[in-house]
Amino acid sequence: MSGFVAALAGFDRMTVARLRALLDHFDPETAYAVAAGNCVADGPVGELLGRHADLAAAWRSSAAVRDPQRCAEQCRHLGVEVVAATDEAYPMVLRSDPWHPAALFVRGDLAGLQRRRVAIVGTRNASQRGREHAARFAVELTEEAVTIVSGLARGIDAAAHRGALAVAGAQPVAIVGNGLDRPYPRVNSALWAEVAERGAVVSEWPPGTPPDAFRFPLRNRIIAALAEVVIVVESRDRGGSLITAREAAQRDVAVFAVPGGIDQPASEGTNALLRDGAAPATETLDILLALGLDGRRAANRRYDPRPQLHGRAQRIADRCAQGPCTLEMIAEEVDRPLGETALLVARLERDGWVRETAGWFETLVGWDSTPT
Amino acid sequence: MYSSVSTAMVVGSAGHAITVEVQVASGLPGFHIVGRPNGVVREARDRLRGAFYSSDEPWPKTNTTLNLVPATEIKTGSALDLAMAVGILIADGHVDPAAVRGLAFIGELGLDGSIRHVLGVAPMVAALGPVDVVVPSGSHREAQIAAQGEVRTADDLPQLLAVLRGLRPWPDPPPPPPTQLHDDLRDLQDVHGQHVARHGLEIAAAGGHHLLFVGPPGAGKTMLAARLPGLLPPLTDDRSLEATMIHSAAGMPLPAGGLVTQPPYRAPHHTASRAALIGGGSPSLWPGEVSLAHGGVLFLDELAEFTPSVLDGLRQPLELGTISIDRAAVRATMPSAFQLVAAMNPCPCGGGPPGTCMCSDGERLRYARRVSGPLLDRFDLRVPVARPGAHDLLDGTPGESTASVAARVRRARALSIERQGTLNAVLGARRLDEHAQVDEAAKTLLYDEISAGRLSGRGYHRLRRVARTIADLRSVHSDEPVGIVVADDVALALAMRTPLGTSSSGWAV
Repeated sequence: MSGFVAALAGFDRMTVARLRALLDHFDPETAYAVAAGNCVADGPVGELLGRHADLAAAWRSSAAVRDPQRCAEQCRHLGVEVVAATDEAYPMVLRSDPWHPAALFVRGDLAGLQRRRVAIVGTRNASQRGREHAARFAVELTEEAVTIVSGLARGIDAAAHRGALAVAGAQPVAIVGNGLDRPYPRVNSALWAEVAERGAVVSEWPPGTPPDAFRFPLRNRIIAALAEVVIVVESRDRGGSLITAREAAQRDVAVFAVPGGIDQPASEGTNALLRDGAAPATETLDILLALGLDGRRAANRRYDPRPQLHGRAQRIADRCAQGPCTLEMIAEEVDRPLGETALLVARLERDGWVRETAGWFETLVGWDSTPT
Repeated sequence: MYSSVSTAMVVGSAGHAITVEVQVASGLPGFHIVGRPNGVVREARDRLRGAFYSSDEPWPKTNTTLNLVPATEIKTGSALDLAMAVGILIADGHVDPAAVRGLAFIGELGLDGSIRHVLGVAPMVAALGPVDVVVPSGSHREAQIAAQGEVRTADDLPQLLAVLRGLRPWPDPPPPPPTQLHDDLRDLQDVHGQHVARHGLEIAAAGGHHLLFVGPPGAGKTMLAARLPGLLPPLTDDRSLEATMIHSAAGMPLPAGGLVTQPPYRAPHHTASRAALIGGGSPSLWPGEVSLAHGGVLFLDELAEFTPSVLDGLRQPLELGTISIDRAAVRATMPSAFQLVAAMNPCPCGGGPPGTCMCSDGERLRYARRVSGPLLDRFDLRVPVARPGAHDLLDGTPGESTASVAARVRRARALSIERQGTLNAVLGARRLDEHAQVDEAAKTLLYDEISAGRLSGRGYHRLRRVARTIADLRSVHSDEPVGIVVADDVALALAMRTPLGTSSSGWAV
């Protein structure tokens, strides 16, 4: 059965709505026969095919290359499970969504969706602080047995998944925009594999689907539909994470945004969300309260192993916390010669308080899971 | 009749003495040049005939053979014209051979009989040794730099022949050009703010370290680099002569005094070809930018935009201080000891503070990789440069002037020469422990950096050399005796080694 769904989902010019129309009206085998043109259909599918003669032709040629048995074999080989909307295994929370996918391709175990669910999303070109905040929220929420849902993109998404995986027993769920045969982006291959092993990587497209740009906004609606709360950590003025936020708002899912400096390009989108009524996410407790979980005890457990700062070191860390600083800006702040300033900064860097990127220093919040 | 006249040609930056033998023998009219002449030399026949005609001199009516000695070397350049003309006239019996004894001739002939300037007069005259030379009047000053005998000039062939026939004395040499006031418009006081970059420049000047500026467009990288030659001391006598020969061979205008005494500054564009940068263009193997920068500064703006294979050609001159150009039939070795200064953006979009760059990690990495690791390794200093803040630009107080920084640089260089006989940049790794000792706090810092994987073995040695220079400058600045290297020095040296190709957007790199 799953082979027919997998084959259908990969048809040329197949859309979310068309696949839904097919599978809502027919069982998979009949749906395949209808799409392949071996069987005359009535109802909405018949109308659709009648309206677009070229669509019927495109599907017929797709059927010639997409053999159900081979598609099923491919999924089995990749360890990908095909879950149709009618199946028992299909997530309940998603089934009630008006725009739910007709089928999901899953690597791993969707058990994490039984727990409370928070989506953490944001820009791919994130700042160091943005990534850290994403990781911090992910760690603290996972510790409260909340499942982190994100998109496995670079930047914030990857940081959120990494943060979640840092906690034992985590079952994070990643919704991706391409087929599960090939990790995308490639740099996240290892992360992709680990999420699949401990939680689940999910796509609504069959293996072999390329990461086309239009699939990512579609993917974002699934993230919004699965989450009870969406946290946007950093976003530019027209970022894809704003699409997730909009989809979430349409579904009455609470949207939180992490406030950022008004002069930080990476926070333009999140600040716009706050202006438009999103709730500010300043600490994990905000989220836990929105979920109705009392997290106060957990929040107090936080432990920072780094040595405490005093005097000039404290001033440098504070200055860098306001925004990236160059060495001369720091020297001006503490009013010391360059050499002495460089030594202070080198010690802060060693102790994990600041990090340098191409001559710019940023303060670390203490949740840096970046391998150095 | 037979004649033999001395002249010279230039290959690379060195002159080669040539003898022109001419025989005008009986037989059918004919004109042959032997002794491996290349195109320019073969064309001399037509230039010579035109000049003879314009000067009312008879063209030989019988079989004429010119032999260029030594016969095995390829001859190139129009500088041989004058000697060929004189040789023909002697062999044909129109000039007394005694008149050219102890004389050598350098110059190109025009169809109107005029004697024209050629490239490389200084190295050619140097190669001729203790003889009197006849050169075009425009080349008098250039010839005098290297001449061991008298330098005679002539404006055209009739004038020269009148002298050789004893009809008139040698013309007076042209008056020396008015000495221009040395007015360098590039002063460090134009650079506002930029304390880290200015300090990096000072360290580079004091220790002879190669320097890479990394920063967004408009940060002032080019402006800073152009001010490095002003911080360097004048060339030593040897260097000065070598640089002058190279400039002469490449046809670069020489300064008013004749010799190149100030460190040259060369800034080739990033589309420069291999021959332009390394040398070896034209059959006479013109000196490239690496040689023109000998004793001074070679500045490569937009380093990542240069063709990678062209850049890799810099490795030999950086290593040896000379460049060898080897072709099938000709080779030349030219001095090319320069200080390399380069500038590049951190990423294709130009970069800026973290969070403003839109480049993907792949783009950043590809950009950084255009500069090969071995070349990047040669830069002791990789200084981050940020755009100056508005208050630095608008604040009217000028930065410290070149003169006062140069004074510190001079003293710091003297310190290192006195201590170890070389600049810090070329201090051998084994002598570091002797001359660049570090204190305990600095050792801890170095230990931390190495164990965190941020510093390699080779980087460690480079870092210690830079720290040595910083310590020298510190003692010059505070007027204290030179001590060992302290943690501050090492920390600053570390800050001047910004990594390239790192990411601001993820774990990818």
